[in-house]
Amino acid sequence: MTTLAREDARRSRSARRSRIAVPYLMLAPGIVLFVLFMAAPILYTLVLSFQKTKVSGLGLGSGSRSTVFAGFENYVAALDPDFVASVLRVLLYGLILVPTMLLLALLFALLLDSKRSRATSFSRVAIFLPYAVPAVISSLLWGFLYLPAVSPIYWVLERLGIDAPEILSNQLVIFAIANIALWGGVGFNMIVMYTSLRAVPSDIYEAARIDGATEFQIAMRIKIPIITPALIMTALFSMVATLQVFAEPTTLRPLTNSLSTSWTPLMKVYRDAFTRDDIGSAAASSIVIALATILISFVFLRVVQRRAFGQED
Amino acid sequence: MAIDTTPRTVATPAPVTRIPPLAPRTRSIERPSVVATAVLIVGAVYCLFPILWVVMASTKSGGELFSTFTLAPSTHFLDNLTQLSAYRDGLFWRWMLNTALYAGVGGVLSTYVSALSGYVIAKFTFPGKKTVFSILLMGVLVPGVILAIPQYLLFAQFNLTNTYWAVLLPQIISPYGIYLARIYAAASVPNDIIEAARTEGAREMYVFHRIALPMMGPGLVTIFLFQFVAIWNNFMLPYIMLGSDSLFPLTVGLNGLLNQGASTPALYTLVITGALLSVIPLVLIFLVLQRYWRVDLAAGAVKA
Amino acid sequence: MRALTRFAAVATIAAVALGATGCSTTPADTGPVELNYWAWAPNLDKVVDIWNESHPDIQVTVNKQDGGDPAITKLLTAIKAGSGAPDLIQAEYQKIPTLVSSDALLDISDTLDASVKDEFSEGTWNAVTLGGDAVYAIPQDSGPMMFYYRADIFKDLGITVPTTWDEYAEAARTVHEADSKSYLGTFSANDAGWFAGLSQQAGASWWGVDGDAWSVDIDQEPTQKVADYWGGLVEEGVIDNKPMYTPEWNAGLNDGSQVGWLSAVWGPGVLAGNAPDTAGKWEAALLPQWTAGDNANGNWGGSTTAVTTQSDHAEAAVEFATWLNTDPEAVKALADISGIYPAATDAASAALTDPPEFISNQADFYDVAAQASDGVSSFTYGPDVNVAFSAYNDEFAKAADAKTKSAFLEAVTKMQTITVEDMKKTGFTVK
Repeated sequence: MTTLAREDARRSRSARRSRIAVPYLMLAPGIVLFVLFMAAPILYTLVLSFQKTKVSGLGLGSGSRSTVFAGFENYVAALDPDFVASVLRVLLYGLILVPTMLLLALLFALLLDSKRSRATSFSRVAIFLPYAVPAVISSLLWGFLYLPAVSPIYWVLERLGIDAPEILSNQLVIFAIANIALWGGVGFNMIVMYTSLRAVPSDIYEAARIDGATEFQIAMRIKIPIITPALIMTALFSMVATLQVFAEPTTLRPLTNSLSTSWTPLMKVYRDAFTRDDIGSAAASSIVIALATILISFVFLRVVQRRAFGQED
Repeated sequence: MAIDTTPRTVATPAPVTRIPPLAPRTRSIERPSVVATAVLIVGAVYCLFPILWVVMASTKSGGELFSTFTLAPSTHFLDNLTQLSAYRDGLFWRWMLNTALYAGVGGVLSTYVSALSGYVIAKFTFPGKKTVFSILLMGVLVPGVILAIPQYLLFAQFNLTNTYWAVLLPQIISPYGIYLARIYAAASVPNDIIEAARTEGAREMYVFHRIALPMMGPGLVTIFLFQFVAIWNNFMLPYIMLGSDSLFPLTVGLNGLLNQGASTPALYTLVITGALLSVIPLVLIFLVLQRYWRVDLAAGAVKA
Repeated sequence: MRALTRFAAVATIAAVALGATGCSTTPADTGPVELNYWAWAPNLDKVVDIWNESHPDIQVTVNKQDGGDPAITKLLTAIKAGSGAPDLIQAEYQKIPTLVSSDALLDISDTLDASVKDEFSEGTWNAVTLGGDAVYAIPQDSGPMMFYYRADIFKDLGITVPTTWDEYAEAARTVHEADSKSYLGTFSANDAGWFAGLSQQAGASWWGVDGDAWSVDIDQEPTQKVADYWGGLVEEGVIDNKPMYTPEWNAGLNDGSQVGWLSAVWGPGVLAGNAPDTAGKWEAALLPQWTAGDNANGNWGGSTTAVTTQSDHAEAAVEFATWLNTDPEAVKALADISGIYPAATDAASAALTDPPEFISNQADFYDVAAQASDGVSSFTYGPDVNVAFSAYNDEFAKAADAKTKSAFLEAVTKMQTITVEDMKKTGFTVK
């Protein structure tokens, strides 16, 4: 090999090395932060889920508590009927909430995009506003609106002679909570879909309009298919957020008899970890929830994979 | 140093569809639709109703709050405001400042890290890229409640609990932000410009800072807004990490006003007034920055 | 190469030097001792200011916590983590066994002055010693239960103050018949401490210690009796079934649809906060009794000041805690500024002469309180009080919703089962 060729070989080797090293170096902050604050805690949770506390004697005084290996005990205990009920409940909650939220968001987005709507700036800001309110606060506000004794809504209905059912009763509380999530989330999803729509150049619609298509037909046949990736992503994130519902039922619980401390899976995790001081059980339930969420997400994405990620490799 | 003249295989950039400028919508041509407008207005009113309620409720004194029609305004807003400010010598405003710090600084740092990571994933080819990205994305699927205790235990090892860092650091990493950044980088930074800069000898971080970041501008604002709101509204993490209420953000502080234990009355008027005030900064930021808000997840998938 | 070795040498020396200074921590406190105190009693920082002014060498900072549970949870997490716990914590009586079993509280019996014990009643002192020689906390306040009622409404309806539970039931019926929206009280499934106090009055003690084993006695006769009684009233519809401390309940206090409130000595403070316009219309009496002429009572709430095992300044902390809870000036400040009912019996009766402003119409309020305090029987808390209380929340919420007596009794049984199972799971010996 000539010197030049050897030079070339060495240079391209080091070029290749730097082609690998440079991106990883630049990714370093992200990767380090991820490992420290996401991966490490998750692994630690996994470790915790296989441990439990054992006491000796009366359990008072130092040295009477020790942590022992618990095998799969925590997992078996985590899957008790209470937990299973909360999972089913949350799935039902998701079924009620997610389609409603996405349909409303889509409807609003399409209306905002339509040439024939007025008051769009005002509506866009107004509908998005609830997103600025944290879940704890919005649950408190809606709590006031739900309790018949202090609610202006019930006050008006009473004056009108309508005997409205209590929305915090056993049968309806799931709608009460779904409403709070809906109120807070529609705006965000609407904006996601709306900006997706706005990115579409309008000449696409011109052709259709020339052919005599109505706004409605354009919406159904062109707009919706085009923003399908956005629809899919919002659907996925909404589903994940729904499975993790925690703040709203926790804030409403002291106001009514209809909510237990383990009404949703995450509430059970919180109760085990903080109220019952049973970290092992909480960790095991967390892992179960995380696995279930990942499974559902993968299944969902597999079904709609191509459409979500479009042209990306 | 001799200029490297060996012919390089330049990767032909994939046809990237840039985010087109927002197409102007002329309204004067079409006749207005009453139905469409009505539906939008109903939605807007429903969304504004609880906010209106808070405004009215914050004008009531403690006794009035539970004894009068809650939508009827009263005259005690200034009293409530004074009471709230006086509570433990202006602790509420301390909370407001803390929240602005966590959300502002955290948002900026998070945007930077997300932009950098998203840019690298979008614009470089390297082994393991897909795996890295998938793992990062899985972070979205893990709820904050589950991470809170292990994160606390981790910070406790370094004696960093109950500090500003305990709330700032974990919120810098945002998988969703990285996901968005990747899309923006792919859509708004053409490969040929990057290549041109490289050919001229520019280092990668220079390319990132001077070329890619400015081009990703509007997208960066979106990522910042998203993370800003998420941190502003976060309850679980600061709740676990912080013991001194002088470090609390608004969410934890206001929640505490409600939970005073059985033997003390909950400070409802303070909470309601505080809630109203805590929403205002966010609303203002939205209004000011809304023209930059572009969450365009379809970029790159639109075919003319 | 040479530079490297030199550098390594310097580094090693530096490390050793730093390590050495780290190891030789002198126990003597130089400069003012700074103590951290997690508490939630209202305005406690103002009381602590009094100490800080006269004790420049020991400065105490109050860190206000959410009431009750959250502070304890944070403490337990900090203890587990090995750092982050305060020097002093306000701990409710029912939390002490849990805290002790998690090694969170320091045994201060060696540093504590022997005379402190005499300041408190026997039952109260038992609660901080758990029946042994160790002392885990100093009692701060107690919450003997009392019955508050709207004197004006009673007068309108011609009701005399009930002294037995049978009379209470009658009064409840009268109130509800006069106005179907009014109730003499409500059964709150969200306030386990309230129900525990009522059970205590009936003679219950939900846990017991027998040698090296615990016993769980929730489903014994006294608690069954109480559950049966309230289940009956709720089923009849004369007592409300909604939780207390909600906006709805507050509205009821204001508009008179909640005519009475079974509460504790700190009741006027809560009423003043939630229904200030009804000031002067309420009166306080002893709890109705199961047997006429008795003076049995229960406790709802009340807390102690404890020193944590992570404190580096135990002696200073004990000195402060003793002052806070026994010094006459401190006790008076606690009563006046924080609005609590101090547990130090003599100091309390000296400090508490005038009734709280909200109930200024009743001059003998604190006399009634003292009598109520006398009647409090003893009650042992176990190591998993939180589990039992959270089981109470869940089971009695279902029962209150169902509005049948049988559901109430079932709730008691379930509470027992859940509590026992939890203790067994952790490895306790349960009789």
